[in-house]
Amino acid sequence: MLPLLAELAADPATAMLLADSDSGAIGIAFPFLAGPGVFIAVYVGIYRYYRNTDKRHHFEKETEVSVGNLKQGDRRVGTNNRQKSRSMSGRNSTEHLTRVRRIKVQ
Amino acid sequence: MLGDEAVAGAAQAARKHSSNRIIDTSSSGTDGLNKCPRCGGTDIQYSLTAKALVCAYCRHSWNEENAEQAFGLDSSIAELRGHTMASGTADIQEDLTTMTLKCQGCGAEVVINVEQQLQARCHWCRQTLSINSQIPNGAVPDAVLPFHLTREEAIERIDAFAGKRKAFAHARFKEEFVPDNVMGVYIPYMVVDGNMHAVLQGTGEVTTRQYTVRRRVGKDNYVTETYYDADVYSVQRAFDLLVDDLTVESAQRFDAKDNKQATNNILNAVQPYDTEKAVAYNSNYLKNFTSERRDLNVRDVDDEVEDRFLAIARAKASPTIGRYDRGVRWEQEGVAVRGTRWVSVYVPVWLYSYADSAKGEGSLVHYIAVNARNGNTMGSVPVSHPKIFAVACAAGSVAAVIGAVVGFGWFLMG
Repeated sequence: MLPLLAELAADPATAMLLADSDSGAIGIAFPFLAGPGVFIAVYVGIYRYYRNTDKRHHFEKETEVSVGNLKQGDRRVGTNNRQKSRSMSGRNSTEHLTRVRRIKVQ
Repeated sequence: MLGDEAVAGAAQAARKHSSNRIIDTSSSGTDGLNKCPRCGGTDIQYSLTAKALVCAYCRHSWNEENAEQAFGLDSSIAELRGHTMASGTADIQEDLTTMTLKCQGCGAEVVINVEQQLQARCHWCRQTLSINSQIPNGAVPDAVLPFHLTREEAIERIDAFAGKRKAFAHARFKEEFVPDNVMGVYIPYMVVDGNMHAVLQGTGEVTTRQYTVRRRVGKDNYVTETYYDADVYSVQRAFDLLVDDLTVESAQRFDAKDNKQATNNILNAVQPYDTEKAVAYNSNYLKNFTSERRDLNVRDVDDEVEDRFLAIARAKASPTIGRYDRGVRWEQEGVAVRGTRWVSVYVPVWLYSYADSAKGEGSLVHYIAVNARNGNTMGSVPVSHPKIFAVACAAGSVAAVIGAVVGFGWFLMG
């Protein structure tokens, strides 16, 4: 099933069908997208429900924490116009566990 | 930006108190007899029905003092400076494997393997001898959080958890699953309080305009595209954080990030524990349960703890960046830790473990764990891949057929 999906993706005809969004031709791609999509979703869903590999304690939300003395320093530095995406690139404000460059704080 | 004065003040305070402070949490008793406060008997064990230590001779029941109150570990986190460590978190001496206890009842000398157990019976007078002092091998914590859930309640939860996951479970697991094999285990955690100042810097974007453009593609085709204009901001947040009772695993075997040998994330997921209710260590709490020895020191886990402090800082900053609807990309972060307090605590888990018998040594150990304080249950059940594959294929085929009907219908209509 997966090699079939890869083959399908590599096929230039698929790309043409998908790109041609103005016509009903995209409909032809439906079964080829829905089939593998549902296959992967069901496989991953059942596996996760049994193995719970993604479960952990969300300490960053559940630990008792008091915050005080908040200082905000926000300054406009420019514009980023004519972007196709609704969200900015590289946003990580919800990925609390990914670490970024460490700075020394006095 | 945080005021320079505040930063300087914090740094000065931290320097002034940079030395480590040790809080002695060892019980005053010497190794040997651990007596019932009423009758002096030594046959004492923790009763799950009474939720207390019970003397087998006089039925007197009691609990040790709350550890936080007894050792002053509940003082204000805001006043923490430098590193305060309870004596049970002291560095481990790996070579300490056996100890000789002198029985105060008859004078006999009893050798005890302190890697495995902390109590032994005197072979002459049958008194129970205990390690009451904090021997530096990681086996004696500062505090113990006693079991609350009974074995039967745990079996019920494990049975229900696995019962919901029977259809696609591995056939051998279903055959060999015996929830009665559940074990009561004390797992060592470091409980950390922290007083710190966090600084986060990054870039945020706010949408200023959203518009659609209709563009001609080829001869007669048009494509409609949506574009977004945004203002870019440099974002900085600086705040003080007081973290109360952050827990971190202190036995290498249960490292939550290492799931190669066993599904350790399961043990991590049954948290939280009400560690503020932990009581002072008494070896009788560990009787009839197994306990894992702490084998990580403060300096082995402090990097992990700092990472967790930063993760908490990032989570706490989230509500303050709501105006950046296109999101924020944090680029730099740091914490200045002004003070920490470390306490080693044994937490109670009812643990069912399963390793595939056919795969032999080294096969992945699957845990189903029950938090013996609040009943949180989580587990890992080995799956039968052929069964999941078959069902996923069937669902995929049905979806493909529906997709074909809808898709071709659309194609013909269009």
